[in-house]
Amino acid sequence: MAHSDKKAVLNQGVIIFVFLTVLTLLEFFIAITMASVVLLVVIALVKAGLVGYYYMHIYRLNIDDEGGHDSYPYKTGTNRLGLWLFLLSDGFVFAGLAVARFNLLGLTRPHLNQTLGLIVTAVLLISSFFMNRAETSMEHGDRKGFVLGMSITLVLGIAFLLGVVGVEWPQAIHEGITPSSGAEGAIFFMMTGMHAFHVLTGVIFLAVVLRNGMRGLYSGEKHWAVEAAAVYWHFVDVVWIFFYPALYLIGTVVT
Amino acid sequence: MKTKNPVRRSFLLLLLGGVIGYGLGVGLDVLVTGQLDFAAPLTGMFALLGTSVAYFFGLVGYWGITRGLVWQVIGTLAGGLFVSGIRVLMGLEAFGGFFFSEPAWVFGGLVGGLSFLVGVGAVTDWYKWAKGEPTSEHHHDPEGYVKYFGVSLDHKVIGIQYTVTALLLMGIGGLFAMIFRTELAASQLQFLTTTFRAFDQNGLQFYNTLMSLHGIIMIISILLGVAGMINYLVPLLIGAQDMAFPRLNAFSFWIAVPAAVLLVSALFLGGFDTGWTGYPPLSARSPVGIQMFFLGVFLAGWSSILGGLNLLATVVRMRARGMTAFRMPIFAWAAIATSLISLTATQFIGLSFQLVMFQRLLGMGFFDPTKGGNPVLFQHMFWFYSHPAVYVFVLPGLGIISELLPVFVRKPLYGYRWVAMSSLGIALVGFLVWAHHMFASGMNEYLRVPFMYSTLLVAVPTGVKFFSWVATLWKGKITTPTPMLFVLGAILVFLVGGLTGPPHGTISVDLHLTDTYFVVGHFHDTMFGGYVFPFFAALYYWFPKATGRRMNETLGKLHFWLMTPSFFVLTFAMMRVGLLGMRRRIADYDPLLGFDLSHLIMTIAGYLIFTSVVIFVYNFFHSLKHGELAEGNLWNSRSPEWLVPSPMPVHNYDQAFEVVGEPYDYGLDGSRYVQFEDEKIKDIEG
Ligand code: HEM
Ligand SMILES: [Cu+2]
Repeated sequence: MAHSDKKAVLNQGVIIFVFLTVLTLLEFFIAITMASVVLLVVIALVKAGLVGYYYMHIYRLNIDDEGGHDSYPYKTGTNRLGLWLFLLSDGFVFAGLAVARFNLLGLTRPHLNQTLGLIVTAVLLISSFFMNRAETSMEHGDRKGFVLGMSITLVLGIAFLLGVVGVEWPQAIHEGITPSSGAEGAIFFMMTGMHAFHVLTGVIFLAVVLRNGMRGLYSGEKHWAVEAAAVYWHFVDVVWIFFYPALYLIGTVVT
Repeated sequence: MKTKNPVRRSFLLLLLGGVIGYGLGVGLDVLVTGQLDFAAPLTGMFALLGTSVAYFFGLVGYWGITRGLVWQVIGTLAGGLFVSGIRVLMGLEAFGGFFFSEPAWVFGGLVGGLSFLVGVGAVTDWYKWAKGEPTSEHHHDPEGYVKYFGVSLDHKVIGIQYTVTALLLMGIGGLFAMIFRTELAASQLQFLTTTFRAFDQNGLQFYNTLMSLHGIIMIISILLGVAGMINYLVPLLIGAQDMAFPRLNAFSFWIAVPAAVLLVSALFLGGFDTGWTGYPPLSARSPVGIQMFFLGVFLAGWSSILGGLNLLATVVRMRARGMTAFRMPIFAWAAIATSLISLTATQFIGLSFQLVMFQRLLGMGFFDPTKGGNPVLFQHMFWFYSHPAVYVFVLPGLGIISELLPVFVRKPLYGYRWVAMSSLGIALVGFLVWAHHMFASGMNEYLRVPFMYSTLLVAVPTGVKFFSWVATLWKGKITTPTPMLFVLGAILVFLVGGLTGPPHGTISVDLHLTDTYFVVGHFHDTMFGGYVFPFFAALYYWFPKATGRRMNETLGKLHFWLMTPSFFVLTFAMMRVGLLGMRRRIADYDPLLGFDLSHLIMTIAGYLIFTSVVIFVYNFFHSLKHGELAEGNLWNSRSPEWLVPSPMPVHNYDQAFEVVGEPYDYGLDGSRYVQFEDEKIKDIEG
């Protein structure tokens, strides 16, 4: 898998990032002008598809691993399947929260600061971009590029957490949206809280992998932990690709 | 630790630990409340902890499960004190009715559960990985029985750990049922009266707690029993050395142990009165016990999720050469279908319970109409798991039936492909029927009819299995050793369960039947036919594989002939009173209804079933040491695990095998399923 030219892969990452940025801005624009639910859902699906294919490289599940059952590539293939099964399972948690959100709030949404929402979304998106660079670097044995990309991802991840828990939550509470104030508050805190919990675990995961990477535990051929951290991190981003419109964009504000 | 008889020693320690624990509980309770109460909540809890810790200490010393339990206790206390401290800082009351306040119990319970996993050693290797340290591929398990009480990575050991835990929970759940069944034997309240007091509950509340715990403990027991069969059998059947992720496998088992402790602790913390379904708004108002119930189910749910994940990866990646999809044993197909459900749907019950937990802790109004919440939403989320979950219970059992039937009929399994696909079909359709539990819930009218039709559709793939079984039996050379008896019993009992389903699925009938004893009869038939009978069949059948000895046939037959008729009497009586209007989940009924005799019969039948299981347990442990030796292919099976000596070697197959034919071609001349390496060499030379 790592035989392709490093530059080409990095460039591909940039192009995907540009697409994602444009789509995110488009989303925001649609929400404040015509608020078309259908368009917002379509865009979210496209964004998730782009991340899933190009950043999480879901197609690798299909690789026919050469080597016996005890070889590293074969075991990595098994690990990859396990990780994706886990994500499928975890996806059901978030799907359940989305069901609760639409059941209780329908096409209304809590009164939140849309600019702030856009900022934290951008932070997470950029972190995904750097995560992809870090992984690509490691695939080509470039440890320096890996450490740099990984460190930036980690910082952005923490920034996202602070943005949501440290800024967004107090602001919402200040506006009267508390966990116990009503269905909007309950849904808002549960959705962002569950997502933030996953970001937190992702940050810990990234930190562990970064530390082990700096100590030289991974190589261009053997770096399953890096791939796993990357895929998990992008997954957390994909969840936010759906939660962001569900909380900040879709529907009319309840007051 | 080495003495002559650890079993006797640990039994003595058990008594001692119980007495000390109980005394401690009474003492602590006096300190906290200032009153002497011999059935205070803490007394039961401490007595239980004392007995179990002392018992395991006697068996294996301070290692494995003993250390896990000690860590769980310490973790619970630490977590609880932590929250209590914060409450003091916030100016809230530090302690509540059950020593800790509710948030402290919840946090403590969670920390305790996770501490167990650290203490038992289920996360040690992962911690090393995070530190970048190498770990060895294979652990060396201690010799003898000790290895079953600590972390082992061997799927056979884990399978047995699951199975024995399942039997233990079945015993506890059964005991609870015997208690409340006794109360039901006659109308009026006999001993669970309003003046009865135990663990802060009066008789009626205690009845509800026992009934609810019976339900959930049996369900967890089934999940563990299913995992036990899958863990032990699937790698052997597909020719793998182990499961795909052995550490995850151990983790999945061990997380179920603190889960069980949490569930049982609900009994002592005021109990809960919702039944196993935990519907709000009632569950939003139950005593603290309900939180322990939620936490326990949550942890057990992770056991099920991760077990499913592991199984799927194992079957996809670790099959022997030549084992194409349609040459896999039926049990592997059933395990796949089961695992798809437990991997995904389980998250929904976990989430729905979490939402109630948060509603109670933080006032989040998900299911509280006064805050814009919706109680019916809970039921949707709950049943989105819990209906498919019933297929998690039965699909492996149905797989066992299809697996064993050809062996004892000496004929090919009829319609192999259809049977394989029907498991997947049931699993998939099972995702689309959940609202048939909610016909009377006040959900949107327009949902009823589609759910009625999807429900009735399940009967189609289920029918496929029945056709296959009947056609396989047709003109076969049937022999009936104990495993086969249980297989035949399973088919009959599941038939009754299956036939009583569609009436429930039909709206007009269900509106009359819902929440009556008819439902209780229906699901006991499905679960016994789909799980309990096949589980016993599997135990009798593979016991020699695991131990090298077989279980006593006479006792096995006694078990069967005592259990089966009693069981039919029990469930038919349930359905009778249900049709006549007996509500489920209540401690008493009006004598004028004329149900006294039926209930008395049910209670007697219940005792007989319990007795038969006691016979089984005796047989099980007795045969471990004194059973007749059975080291060869006892049942004359074609399956690879029987072609090597029993008990199974540590690393399963010394030589790999290749699949060269169909799995169930019994009685066909010259047909062959698997070929071992050295046979191949012989074939080439010869
Ligand atoms: C032909 C297949 C089946 C159909 C059509 C069917 C239908 C139903 C329906 C409609 C109910 C709800 C009754 C009510 O609450 O009013 C029900 C309850 C139940 N069924 Fe089935 N069922 C089938 C098979 C099974 C199987 C295989 C199991 C496996 C163990 C099962 C376990 C249960 C349980 C546990 C309940 C009671 C849940 C509760 O309220 O506590 N059923 N069934
Ligand atoms: Cu159902």
